[in-house]
This record gives sequence, structure tokens and C-alpha cells, in this order.
Amino acid sequence: MKVSLFEQVPYRYIPEGFENRYNSVVTAPYQVVEPARMTESIVSAYAELLCGARAGFDGICVTEHSQSSYDISPNPTLLASAVACAARTEGLDVAITVLGRSLGKTREPLKIAEEYALLDCISGGRLIAGFPVGLSYDANLNASLPAVETRERYSEHRELILKAWSEPRPFPWNGRFEKYGQVNIWPRPIQQPHPPIWIPGTGSPGTLRDILKRDYVFVYLSWDGPKLTGRQVFDRYWDLAEEMGRDRNPYRLAFLQVVAVAETDERAEKEYAPHLQAHFRSGLGAIPHTAMAVPGYAEPAAIEGMLRSGGPAGMLSRMKTATYAEIVDSQVAIVGSPATVADQIEAFVREFRIGNLLVMLQNGSMPRDLTEKNISLFAAEVLPRLRPIWDEEGWANPWWPRAAVPERTA
Amino acid sequence: MTAGAVAVRDETVEVWDSRLRLHVKIAGDGPPLLYFHPLHGLTWPPLLDRLARRYTVYAPEHPGTSPGDPQAIREVRTFGELLLVYDEAIGQLGFGPGRAAALGQSFGGMVAADLAATFPRLFSRLVLLSPMGLWRDDAPIPLMEMVAGPPEEVPKYLFAHPDSDAARAARTLPADPEQIPKAIAQSTWNVGCTTKFAWPIADHGLDRRLHRIQLPTLIVWGREDALVPVAYAKEFGSRIAGSQVEVLDDCGHVVPAEQPARSWAVISGFLAG
Repeated sequence: MKVSLFEQVPYRYIPEGFENRYNSVVTAPYQVVEPARMTESIVSAYAELLCGARAGFDGICVTEHSQSSYDISPNPTLLASAVACAARTEGLDVAITVLGRSLGKTREPLKIAEEYALLDCISGGRLIAGFPVGLSYDANLNASLPAVETRERYSEHRELILKAWSEPRPFPWNGRFEKYGQVNIWPRPIQQPHPPIWIPGTGSPGTLRDILKRDYVFVYLSWDGPKLTGRQVFDRYWDLAEEMGRDRNPYRLAFLQVVAVAETDERAEKEYAPHLQAHFRSGLGAIPHTAMAVPGYAEPAAIEGMLRSGGPAGMLSRMKTATYAEIVDSQVAIVGSPATVADQIEAFVREFRIGNLLVMLQNGSMPRDLTEKNISLFAAEVLPRLRPIWDEEGWANPWWPRAAVPERTA
Repeated sequence: MTAGAVAVRDETVEVWDSRLRLHVKIAGDGPPLLYFHPLHGLTWPPLLDRLARRYTVYAPEHPGTSPGDPQAIREVRTFGELLLVYDEAIGQLGFGPGRAAALGQSFGGMVAADLAATFPRLFSRLVLLSPMGLWRDDAPIPLMEMVAGPPEEVPKYLFAHPDSDAARAARTLPADPEQIPKAIAQSTWNVGCTTKFAWPIADHGLDRRLHRIQLPTLIVWGREDALVPVAYAKEFGSRIAGSQVEVLDDCGHVVPAEQPARSWAVISGFLAG
């Protein structure tokens, strides 16, 4: 199996009790920031990703959020390109996953086509292209696009990007949202017709069908707690895969898990618990529920279904007051010694048939030294247990960058 | 559907090259009057019962807001297309151009005003109840804050007295608990369908077209309007020649709900005049 290091870029000095006074997105007050600490927070994320690449992770992974205090990553390709350049220089064979530029949010989809293509070139054909719709607060509040059009924009933008990457000759694009007299981007991705495409989502049947139909990878995130929602989402995915005639190749599925490892279970709790609880409360917990679904973002049948089922099942909706115990009981985060962590991960990876694991090892106020310890311990003692999990079934993984392009140095 | 003593019937008109079946609620007797509903969709407020005793009220449902047809909103791509859709629909209702009065409320006020500006011979009279459609930097309209904010805070944008009986009555959920999820889902989707043409700022350049309105026009505003500030009453009034502006004290955005007697007096007087 493939294991990548996922990292957000939180401001690491969010004041205590932030979530009781402010939202973490859209209106998050920049006055809480000390500029030097912002720089440190951003640069640390970059350094930690590189630390992961050196430690032997198969890939690094970043994501996009604007006007947010928990992930200061308005354009993840910037961060990814810095890591990709450094990894290339050091000769590290690491996939670069951007999970990614939000296609339902962008007003400039061709810029995404160009940036991803550039990244694929810089990394020597190691890009995994994430095509998320974009969260409602990001697409409909930050970018202020009408919610009811979000998915229509997404579909058109995805089609345009794929064509811009693979069409050999310049072409005009007369879309509903975008019009170009001539599309002829430079560079094109090394991986043709396109890099592997991964699509993060909450697991709605419509999204899953789209992913399976197009033969892309579905990425699910642990925010809701896999113990609470994993069964429902992954069962639905594999049932749909069967219904649509797709095989049970575990590499069709990627999962993001928050993990914190220390020498012993006790020490792990002591070292990580305060950071985890504070981060989930002040980050995801301080996103107003209504900002996750601006009217028009979700279809009426989906809203009605959610209301009839008694509201959201997962942790996300009650993250603002989540305790450390709830976070670990629901497996939003897996915390413990290498053996504890590996046991828990291996169990659900096998149960849900997850071939691509993303682990998030930095959270909120965690300082760089603690984060790098987490990265090193995970890489040294957990990763080796996970990597061979699917070997015996012998699946190919066509959703991983095919091959690095050999260097040609003059 | 029956509301109060007035029977309301539902008709559909096929428009937009057969891509849309627009639902129109119709009630009452008398000369035609078109009603354009606000952001949350067409309810049947007491104002329409009162109007239906004197007029034949035609109340079209904004595309996508009719139960069972949510995807209709996809067929209308721009606000300009919405105006053409209504022009076609009104043409099919059978009362002929220039005969119907038009009354629009909030988002519906923006629709009615732009229809009157775009098609100057479409209506006979125009009533605008705290319409959207203009923007001043010194009087921002907190549409995004209201629509994406906590539901329990919506009344504070809509009413001068959010806890009053009038405010409560205007947002009653179905009595049958089984119907509540459907009602909330529909109402939420309706806001998505209307705000498609009002997001994030409901300004399609109406200020550059309002001079084309040559109709007798009444503009009614609540002085304490916390959604579309009363400053816009003067903006509309000064741009529509000969228009009558009435500002009601102790009144928020939903004028007919919060000041039913006084708003009825000015509306009915104007329409009869």
C-alpha cells in the first residue's frame, strides 16, 4: 500500500478559547496573528513535508483553503512546488499530491491546468491531481459564487482541464462559464493523457458514481470519525463499485487519517492530547455548520434525508466541543505507541480495503520538533508494517504516478 | 390549496422553448395583479388573500422552487434569462400586455422592477416592497450574512421585532412533524434558487435601467429594515420619475407582515387610484 504524508498549514498560535469567540473561516479575525509566528507556521509545514519525504513516505499531500485559520493554503500548488523542487534536488522519489485546487471554486480553471502541468514537470511526472469540488464556505462565501452553480462549474472546469492537458492542438472553448478563443497551455503534464486523478468527498452516492464511472480514486477524510461513518461510506463505495462493474482493487480508495505516535500509549496521550483537542475545536469545530452548506449547495432531497436521519452522524457537526476522548473513540485521530497505531490502522485498512493511506501528523499548535518526532516514528515503526498489506492480493496501482522521467542533464 | 377564505389554484405555463413548466398560483376575481415572491419562495401571506378579494392574483413560482421540480433552476442561467422567462409566462396568462399591476417583494421586488424597466409596456402599475436590486457601499445589504448565517438569526434581518407574533406567524413550520424536514429542505433550496441571481450582491445594473420605468409606481419601505436599508427607498424613488415613496415607522424588511394595516392602506389606495 501507498502511504503519504498529508499536511495542512494551521496558524500554530491560535489563542485559547478562540472557537467560543470567532469562526475559523471567512470571518476569522486576522488580528489574532503575530506576523513572525505566521511565517514560522507556514515555513514549518514546508519543512515537515520535506522531513516526511526524506523519512521514506511514498508521497506528500497538501490541500486548499482560503480565508481560514486552520489551513493557510490559498494555493497548495505553491507549497507543493517548493517541496517538489527540493525533493527533486535531493533525489527523493516522492509523489506530489495536491488534493487540491478546488474546481467548483475557481474563476480561472486554466490556471489550475497550467499549475498542475508545471508541477508534473517539476516533479518528473510524480503529480497526483486532486479535483475537489470545494467546500461550500470556500466556493460560495470566500469566492462568492452562487451555491446552486457549484457543481455545474466543477463539471465544466474538469472537462476543460482534461482537454487542455491532452489535446495536441490549440482549441477554442465555448463553455457556459468559461470562454477562450484558443487554449494551448505550456507545459503539458509529463503523465499523459493526465496524471492520476483523486477526488475527495463526503461520500454522497452522486459523487461516488461519478468517481467510479470515470475510474478515478475516491478520497475520504477521517474528520467524522471512521468508527462512526466509515462503515456506511466505504460499504456504499464498494457496493456501487460492484454495481458498476468495477473490481475491488483497494487502490481505488484513499483515506486520510490523523495519527499521533509516541514511544508509549501514555506518552502519546500526554504529548498530543492537548494539541489535538484544541485544534479540532478551534479549527474544524469553529466552522459554522451553515457555512458548510450554503443554500443551493446541497440538493433538497439530500437536506431532507439528513434531517430525517436525525442530523449528521459524524463528529464534524459537534467538533466545537469535542473532547480528546471523543476524538480518539471515534478514530478522528489514532493516538498511541507504534504498535497501537499500526494495529488500529491495519484493522480498518483491511476492513475497508484502503490502498492509499494519507496520514496527517501535524495538528494545530503542535510544534515542529514534536511533529518531526511523529513523522520519524511513524516512518520508522508504523509505515513498514502497513506497506506490504495488499502485496499478497497482487493488485496493480494505476492511480499512482507511473514512472519518474529520467533526468537529462546536458 | 386554500388559504383563508380564498381558493388558490395552481396552473402551469410552458415557457422557454418548452424547457420550463412554470407554476403560477392564481386566486380571486377582478383585474389582474402579478405578485413576485421574496427569497424564501412563494408562501401565501395574508396580503395575497386581501388582494384576491379585489384582483385576480397571479403569483408565479421562481424556477426551481416548485415542489418536485428542483432542477428547473438549471434551465435559467442568468438574471436576464429569468426576465425573458417571466415575459413569456406573463404573455401566456391571457390578460394582455399592460393590463396587470405588478407587486414585488424583496427579491421579487428586484424582479418586478427590472421587468418594468426592461419591458416598459408590460405592467399597468408597479408596487415595490423593500426591493433588492441596488447597491451602495455606505449601505451594504447583508444578504450573504443572513443566508449563510445561523437560521435562528434570520428574523433579526427581516423584522424590526423578531420576537413579535407577526414575525413568528410569518415563519411557521408545518404543524405535522412529518412534514417539517421536507419544508425546511424546500425552503433552503428555494433560497439557493433565488440567490442564484442575487449572489453575493444583487446588482445587475438596475440603477442604469430604472429611468425606463414610466408607470405609476409605489415604493414601500420599513424604516428599520435590517436587510435592505431604508436608504434604498430614496434611491428607487429618485430614479423612477413620479414615484410615490412611503416609509413606515416601526417596521422591518417584511413590510406586510410587520405593518399589515398601514401597508395595506397605502398599497390598496395606490392600486385603486
